[in-house]
Amino acid sequence: MRKRTLYVVLAVAMLALLLVGCGGGEKATSDEAKDKVFVFAQGADPRGLDPAFVDDGESAKIMVNVYDNLVRYKEGSTEIEPALAESWESNEDKTEWTFHLRQGVKFHDGTPFNAEAVKFNIDRQLEPNRTEAMPYASFVYGPVKSVEVIDEYTVKIILNNPYAPFLANMAMCMAAPIVSPTAVEKYGEDFIANPVGTGPFKFVKWDRGQSIELVANEEYWDGAPKLDKLIFKFVKENSVRASELMTGSIDAMDGVDPNDVKTLQDNGIKVAMNPGMNINYLAFFTNKEPFNNPLLRQAVSHAIDREAIVEHLYQGTADLANGPLPSFMPGYDKDLKPYEYNPEKAKELLAEAGYADGLKVTLLTYTNPRPYNSVGQKLAEAIQGDLQKVGITAEIKAWPWTEYKAIVSPEIVTEGDMMIYGWIGDNGDPDNFLTLLDSKEIAGSLNSAKYANPQVDQLLEQGRQEFDMAKRAEIYSELQKIVIEEAPWVFISHATAMTAERDNVVNFSLHPTGVVFFHNVDKK
Amino acid sequence: MLRYLIKRILMLIPVLLGVSLFVFLVLHLFTTDPAMNMLGQHGTNEQAEALRESMGLNDPIYVQFARFLSDLLHGDFGRSLMTRAPVLDEIFARFPATVELALAAIFIATVVGVTVGVISAVKQYSIFDYVSMIGALVGVSMPIFWLGLMMIILFSLTLGWLPVSGRIAVGMEPAHITGLYVLDSILTQDWESLKSALLHLIMPATALATTSMAIIARMTRSTMLEVIRQDYIRTARAKGLKESVVVYRHALRNALIPIITVIGLQLGVLMGGAVLTETVFGWPGVGSRLIDAIMASDYPMVQGTVIFIATVFVVVNLIVDLLYAWLDPRIKYS
Repeated sequence: MRKRTLYVVLAVAMLALLLVGCGGGEKATSDEAKDKVFVFAQGADPRGLDPAFVDDGESAKIMVNVYDNLVRYKEGSTEIEPALAESWESNEDKTEWTFHLRQGVKFHDGTPFNAEAVKFNIDRQLEPNRTEAMPYASFVYGPVKSVEVIDEYTVKIILNNPYAPFLANMAMCMAAPIVSPTAVEKYGEDFIANPVGTGPFKFVKWDRGQSIELVANEEYWDGAPKLDKLIFKFVKENSVRASELMTGSIDAMDGVDPNDVKTLQDNGIKVAMNPGMNINYLAFFTNKEPFNNPLLRQAVSHAIDREAIVEHLYQGTADLANGPLPSFMPGYDKDLKPYEYNPEKAKELLAEAGYADGLKVTLLTYTNPRPYNSVGQKLAEAIQGDLQKVGITAEIKAWPWTEYKAIVSPEIVTEGDMMIYGWIGDNGDPDNFLTLLDSKEIAGSLNSAKYANPQVDQLLEQGRQEFDMAKRAEIYSELQKIVIEEAPWVFISHATAMTAERDNVVNFSLHPTGVVFFHNVDKK
Repeated sequence: MLRYLIKRILMLIPVLLGVSLFVFLVLHLFTTDPAMNMLGQHGTNEQAEALRESMGLNDPIYVQFARFLSDLLHGDFGRSLMTRAPVLDEIFARFPATVELALAAIFIATVVGVTVGVISAVKQYSIFDYVSMIGALVGVSMPIFWLGLMMIILFSLTLGWLPVSGRIAVGMEPAHITGLYVLDSILTQDWESLKSALLHLIMPATALATTSMAIIARMTRSTMLEVIRQDYIRTARAKGLKESVVVYRHALRNALIPIITVIGLQLGVLMGGAVLTETVFGWPGVGSRLIDAIMASDYPMVQGTVIFIATVFVVVNLIVDLLYAWLDPRIKYS
């Protein structure tokens, strides 16, 4: 026994010596000129970095800094301005869009950016190349019939029919960003982990679960970024991320937990609240008993104390909704008047609808927090409490989100009468929110209330073909009034997005689409 | 010995087959299909159906299981539904982090556990004995999540001694040789990285070590007590040997064999059980990836990770058993 132990110890010692020995000399010299490194922390790894194949916000935050689109959003709004396309025009009936591209731009791998590259990008997401694994291809390029290269720096996109949200779609962080065709061919399926774009930052490496490193693209057409290096660090727990910020190992973060706000501020951290592009709502299943009766929907709308719910459940991290659209979006109408809280009126309407003795319903909900509803199931419980007061007994049935989606998407939902749901905007266009009330979308499962009204459908179609935003706003205002009257939804709230940054950070702001454009961000 | 080895290796096959079947059935019978989830908020029912068809989710379950097994045998664990990267690549990218954490934890647990256990046994019924055994009881039942957050508050926020999360300061990763940062930075003599890696290791490894530390301490104490009562110890004392020689050279060495088994078993447990610790400390290992995969109903990833962890567990146990046989010549295998 003694001998054996001795051998083990000796062998381990020798191995250690050997390993140290072959490590040999040269040490990485990292202390050249001090690079300006910015570390941003988010909750999870991106799913991937190919805009054609992902649909999650964590991916978007990185992709918008690696890729450019033909057009982009202005800072702080969802208005459109030129990017890789310097200008564009359309034909009379708005079905042919000609883009004049910026010249002399190169992808990070040296591939020149030109009309062929644009065509390649769109073609790979059109039929027959489109696959089910491309979550946004049919949304962004659905109206696109074909793409033609006119000359090296001119490209024409032909639509099936006029479509007002088209430009907004071209600015989106999914599907629309322009990727390097040579890189897609080189990496094949692995392009998703090896992104090459024309954006302000170049991809360097991805340590799974840990971080993604980008470096400044010094030749960026819109001027070199102020930072030398941009690092996205992945830290799952909100409070742990906040601790990282307080100790200074990161410079900024998103997904601030409301409970941490005070601690952060006490430690000299700036916490910013930004209006979020989302809506949190209660939908009635309007295609079956009992909520096919508008009176009953109105009764419930009066019974829910939305203000109290928003105030108590979200504690300042959400704004009360007065309609489906967030306030910064074109088409938002501040004069809309949703149902005020009035339990007496609710009881009257209930009696009028023939339920004077009360009513039993089933309320479906998801259990976990969602971006537009940070408290998860508690929202359903608050609604249940309000309904109880007017004599409506709501039984709650709850599932985790992934299962919930499967349960609420069939046309006739057998399990319940109403549901809690929400929507995260894609492109900053009002149609993107209002389309959730389109009767076509019942089959497509986006129309959670299974709401059908020919007049609403018609107004939606009219809005899609109208390019004058002022006129579109009128159309949408009319539409929203109808929707409020018919009450397929109870609008609850728009969740605000919170970010936090150290006090030496300059120009850092969260865009309404939930991403940060780091091109102009700096550190003092 | 060789026959024993072969027999033990062959025995791994039914064990792993059982694990695969179990994981597969649990995931396929008790979760809804992931197609809707993959499609995102614009997904339609037709698209989901097409996706289900193309993923083979509409086939009878035994067909799916057979296909799954045959893929496994070809070393194909499938692709993650979330990232579309091969499952095995993702696991291997993260495995070194988990190994490093588990090794550091077992090191801490062994050093502290054995020391405390020996002293407790030697000074049975002393104040040290009582305090440490109560401590061990607390350690066994301490929720890692809570402990981790308390440690962060104390050592990172209040005292500022240790980094909050991650494996190493950003940009300090040493050249990739083994994937274990501590080892790699020693090999490349990158002392800055070594320091950063060690500082990052302390809290998660200690948090992870708590339970094992307590188990090892209690185990050491009881085996030591048993050994100390044996005749040969009395003989050694009677010969007039120094107490330290009696305790360390005679008693501890003989008590060590069952302790080594426990340590080995704990190593296996730690590899798989690092899930919570990895989540709290943002440690980019296999465990935290498993949590992400479960949250996203990414079941190729869940299946692959569980089977991988199970394999590591049984292989570690096998190695422990073999070491055990090798260290203790009294044990004979046939």
